[in-house]
Amino acid sequence: MAHVVVDPITRIEGHLRIETEVEGGTVRDAWSSSTMFRGVEIILKGRDPRDAWVFTQRICGVCTTVHAITSIRAVEHAIGANPPPNARLLRNLIIGAQCVQDHVIHFYHLHALDWVDIVSALSADPAKTASLAQSISDWPISGRAYFTDVRARLKDFVAGGRLGPFANAYWGHPAYKLPPEANLMAVGHYLQALDFQRQFIRMHAILGGKNPHLQSFLVGGMATPVDADSQNALNMGTIAELSKLVASARDFVTRVYMPDVLAIAAFYKDWAGIGAGVGNYLSYGEYPEDDNPNPNMYLPGGTILNRDLGKVAPVEPDKISEYVKHSWYDYKGGDDKPLPPFKGETSPNYTGPKPPYERLHLDRKYSWVKSPRYEDHPMEVGPLARMLVAYAYGRPSRVKELVDNTLKALGVGPQALFSTLGRTAARAIESQVIAEKMQDWVAALAESMARRDYRICDNSKFDPSTWPEECWGSGFHEAPRGSLGHWVHIRNGEIVNYQCVVPTTWNAGPRDAHGKRGPYEEALVGTPIAKPDQPLEILRTVHSFDPCLACAVH
Amino acid sequence: MRLKESAVRAKLTAKGREDSWPAGWAELGVSRRSFLKFCASMAAILSMPPAVAAKLAESIEKAEKPTLVWLEFQDCAGNTESFLRASRPTVAQIILDKISVNYHETIMAAAGQQAEDALAKTVKNHAGKYIAAVEGSIPTGADGAYCAIGGKSALQVAREVCGNAAATIAIGTCAAFGGLPAASPNPTGAVAVGDAVPGLKTLINLPACPANAENITALLVYYMTMKQWPPLDQYRRPLFAYGKLIHDNCERRAHFDAGQYVENWGDDGHRHGYCLYKMGCKGPVTFQNCPVIRWNEGTNWPIGCGHPCVGCAEPNFWDKMTPFYRHLENIPGFAVGTDVDKVGLGLTAAVGATFAAHGVIEIARRKLGHGPDQGEEGRKGE
Amino acid sequence: MSAALAASLPGSKRIRVYVWELPVRIAHWLIFFSIMVLAATGFYIGHPFISVSGMARDHFVMGTVKVVHFYAAIVFTLAVLSRLWWMLMGNRYARWSQFIPVSAARWRDLRETAKFYVFARRDPPPTVGHSALAGAFYAVIYGICLVMIGTGLAMYSPMAPLGSPMRWFSFLIPIFGGLPTARLIHHIGMWLLLAFMVHHVYSAILYSAVQRTGTVESMVSGNKFVEPEALAEEGDD
Ligand code: HEM
Ligand code: HEM
Ligand code: NFV
Ligand code: SF4
Ligand code: SF4
Ligand code: F3S
Ligand SMILES: [Mg+2]
Repeated sequence: MAHVVVDPITRIEGHLRIETEVEGGTVRDAWSSSTMFRGVEIILKGRDPRDAWVFTQRICGVCTTVHAITSIRAVEHAIGANPPPNARLLRNLIIGAQCVQDHVIHFYHLHALDWVDIVSALSADPAKTASLAQSISDWPISGRAYFTDVRARLKDFVAGGRLGPFANAYWGHPAYKLPPEANLMAVGHYLQALDFQRQFIRMHAILGGKNPHLQSFLVGGMATPVDADSQNALNMGTIAELSKLVASARDFVTRVYMPDVLAIAAFYKDWAGIGAGVGNYLSYGEYPEDDNPNPNMYLPGGTILNRDLGKVAPVEPDKISEYVKHSWYDYKGGDDKPLPPFKGETSPNYTGPKPPYERLHLDRKYSWVKSPRYEDHPMEVGPLARMLVAYAYGRPSRVKELVDNTLKALGVGPQALFSTLGRTAARAIESQVIAEKMQDWVAALAESMARRDYRICDNSKFDPSTWPEECWGSGFHEAPRGSLGHWVHIRNGEIVNYQCVVPTTWNAGPRDAHGKRGPYEEALVGTPIAKPDQPLEILRTVHSFDPCLACAVH
Repeated sequence: MRLKESAVRAKLTAKGREDSWPAGWAELGVSRRSFLKFCASMAAILSMPPAVAAKLAESIEKAEKPTLVWLEFQDCAGNTESFLRASRPTVAQIILDKISVNYHETIMAAAGQQAEDALAKTVKNHAGKYIAAVEGSIPTGADGAYCAIGGKSALQVAREVCGNAAATIAIGTCAAFGGLPAASPNPTGAVAVGDAVPGLKTLINLPACPANAENITALLVYYMTMKQWPPLDQYRRPLFAYGKLIHDNCERRAHFDAGQYVENWGDDGHRHGYCLYKMGCKGPVTFQNCPVIRWNEGTNWPIGCGHPCVGCAEPNFWDKMTPFYRHLENIPGFAVGTDVDKVGLGLTAAVGATFAAHGVIEIARRKLGHGPDQGEEGRKGE
Repeated sequence: MSAALAASLPGSKRIRVYVWELPVRIAHWLIFFSIMVLAATGFYIGHPFISVSGMARDHFVMGTVKVVHFYAAIVFTLAVLSRLWWMLMGNRYARWSQFIPVSAARWRDLRETAKFYVFARRDPPPTVGHSALAGAFYAVIYGICLVMIGTGLAMYSPMAPLGSPMRWFSFLIPIFGGLPTARLIHHIGMWLLLAFMVHHVYSAILYSAVQRTGTVESMVSGNKFVEPEALAEEGDD
């Protein structure tokens, strides 16, 4: 029995530490810990609720919109503000752009090197690489000359002896299965994706002033004026630019990202049977399509328990609660009982080993992440959960189509979705669904302009003197990594309590008071390990969740 | 100017020069012409005369790859993401051709022990020569347990890595000034890099939340070109990026001076680019070059899109610039968002009322003729 | 003015004393008028209540208000500084020792004056210059004036023209805790001065009425009419 510790887990956001027991080439048990705490929930107390989004946004600079959106939704819910339709459209566009851009970065820059061996790419034949690339997609930048260039560049880089961020990795590890040509193609797309994400995210700058940390949100609406006849507002020129950017995203996702995922997955089909995890899935639903208090969602919300796609149930937020039995916090009423977010407490109390340390106290408290539970079930959240819920409901039909196409292309059944590979595929499918859908919101925004509907904010509720003396609100959102909720309690215009239950809190949380593992921990159990001192396989499964620990702890 | 252009043309045609054109740039599709254009725009960001552009081009080509390690502590990775949006040069160009980034948790391939080894090797083999970039604040509470990496506290890592660096760049407001984690009540005792590792030889603060990618690259290019670090202001921020107020470069300034303000979100003024001062804009108290270089390849910036500046590049902005939708910060001891003028008017009225009452009593007691008369006695006693 | 002089004026119960020299009076009224202008313009800067429509180029409301504020600030600063200078150069009633109660007698006077204000004695102790209480208050006021100047200069330094020596005052910015806090302090200072003024005008009138030394007029003419014994006592300290 070997105790394998991976700290830091790299190519993620934040500070994640994984400890495992490995025996006979397989992970027998696993512990997920985050080792960084800031205390945003504490910092928010006593502040102006209209400012909260700016604070919570800084929980994460990767999913840089999601805490802002969720915060304004929570405060709007509390004070009874009604954002106008334009605000909904602008938000949907921002959320959609975040989703696609984040997924592309995750796949190419954070996840791909788990599957792609850069060193092997050096021995690829550029001509064969070109024909491979052309056989899977009609993407124009896939000629022989291009891949010759990429390989030459890589050679120079390696010959220079300064491997920089690619030094010391697991190149040549037996778990790498791609032929050299597929590796070279992926390296080329790694570089192209860097350019794509940079150019596409200009969409956030247009709608939010800048990225990361857009700055156009408001409690009650958006700060981006809309006026077809003004040069200082979103106008038809902007509509044209947005359309172009959306088209570029659709292009990149359908012609590069999706084909790459399928191509790589074809070589790693065994990973469709690894890393399943807890088998319970949660999605709040996202992309409101109307302005009712309970709007219809383009991606529906729901819960699935025990991988039973036949039984998908609506979400009941009252069933959510958080344990701190194995997290470095105290609950006034004792650590054995969970607290619902409206009654949530954040009182840090570190009881772990004093740094520098070798081992955490795994039998006691061992993480800054709390353990959220839904009716006491650990739930997996994220693109896979969203796609499963949509697939189970059969809407939107595009999800069903793409999931079925993917399963068919790989020659596997729906059970394959519950896996490390399933997560990675679901992320690509979602990217495509949303990249396609965004054009509708651009069109709706243009229609709104044509009707001269320039409302962007519910100004009637911006002044705190119009609010109830005391109120409570909750905001829900589907962030790239999954279900995000904020809960706020306001009294006399000030925040009394603020609680965030974040996607990676769900996924990366430690065991609860009943000893039930969190989703990362559960997914790691059973993962094969070829070389315990080169834990590539651990990275694969953990990365498939797209961890964000700054989010998880906040 | 004309002279310089001809010099550039001469360079372009001189065979010898073409030979030294770095291979990596050509592969990436960077033509010599676009490279020179990049140098010119870089010179502009750095507020150097355009004449320097040619020299800039030369020194970047010749520059040896400096080594950089990028540490993340109590951060949100926003500055890393910002860095990924760099366009002149792009992050691919930087990492593959310009700088050897030996450690950066968010992008590096190695993990765990292998990652830590890469860092240790750099600190040892390049001691006193590498650049340390730091993102995020450093907690001093709980014996360092609020941020640990590989079992070591952030404080320990920072001391080892920054202490042996040729220079430390604190990227983002968290690293530069403590930022969000240090916002009141600072639950983790978070401090800026400069406070966590006092006495650093060369420390440059590059605040903003996050720092603008173009300022990060401009700083690196400045160093590689001039072989020295730029002049700094009193908060150790480079003057080329933080030498002027937002307000003094803002495109809405004409409306400020005229007296034309946005009064409500989406009103006529808002739709026509009026000044955001009354909505709480902190441009008048914030130093940064946002209005000049803007964000995301010059696409836009916060005020450009219609939202007030929140002052994200200033020390303690989370406490000093809040509430964000008022132009003055909270008054200590008063409820959030209390209006200074209401308090001031109240105080003045209270003083007025007190002395009006005093006057009435004074008149009354003189009219009635009683009241203690210690005047004489008091004086006699002296 | 000395006890000897007072004694040499036979027959008249009250004697005319030249207390406020011209620099004191000029400084006082310049301070008063500049504060009125600074407060009005400053209030507008903090709360631009006038909004104009049309083209921006046709208006310069805030611009003008700021210019007026800055000119008034020059007057104000020079008046305050010259008054502080006169604390070293002026007559005994202008001296710094009138403001900071250092002697036992001044402390006693301060206490007794305070008693008068709370109706614990009928008349205020006779004084020629400022009572010790008033003097201490003025010291605080001059302190606030200096803070206004300091915060004003801190805010002005980054907007001063390139090469202007005013840029040098940016060293004040961290001293006041950064520009936003300097602004808040500056704004609060305005209200403290206005609130003081209300009390101050009342007290001047009150003293004119109860002491009959011509307090209010004294800030115009420079002269007060005091009882000889008050003058005699002054000579003691
Ligand atoms: C008693 C004297 C003064 C009063 C009552 C006064 C009042 C004010 C007020 C209320 C503001 C607006 C603050 C805000 O809410 O933003 C202001 C702004 C300002 N004051 Fe004064 N002030 C005085 C003296 C000075 C002096 C001596 C200076 C020296 C230069 C000065 C320079 C400024 C500057 C630079 C601003 C900011 C203008 C801007 O940012 O556009 N003030 N003043
Ligand atoms: C904001 C407005 C004002 C300020 C800041 C102010 C300040 C001062 C100060 C600092 C002194 C002490 C003079 C010195 O020795 O330097 C003083 C004295 C005096 N002021 Fe004012 N003043 C103001 C308005 C007025 C007004 C409106 C009047 C008219 C009624 C007035 C009447 C006097 C008189 C009569 C004295 C002499 C009082 C004494 O004997 O102690 N002041 N004032
Ligand atoms: N977990 C997480 Fe986030 C996301 N997506 C958000 O709520 O990454 Ni930073
Ligand atoms: S300065 Fe802002 S963007 Fe940078 S790490 Fe801190 S919170 Fe994130
Ligand atoms: S929008 Fe802000 S920075 Fe621009 S002029 Fe107005 S107050 Fe100044
Ligand atoms: S909020 Fe920050 S990004 Fe620029 S406009 Fe203001 S300094
Ligand atoms: Mg929480």
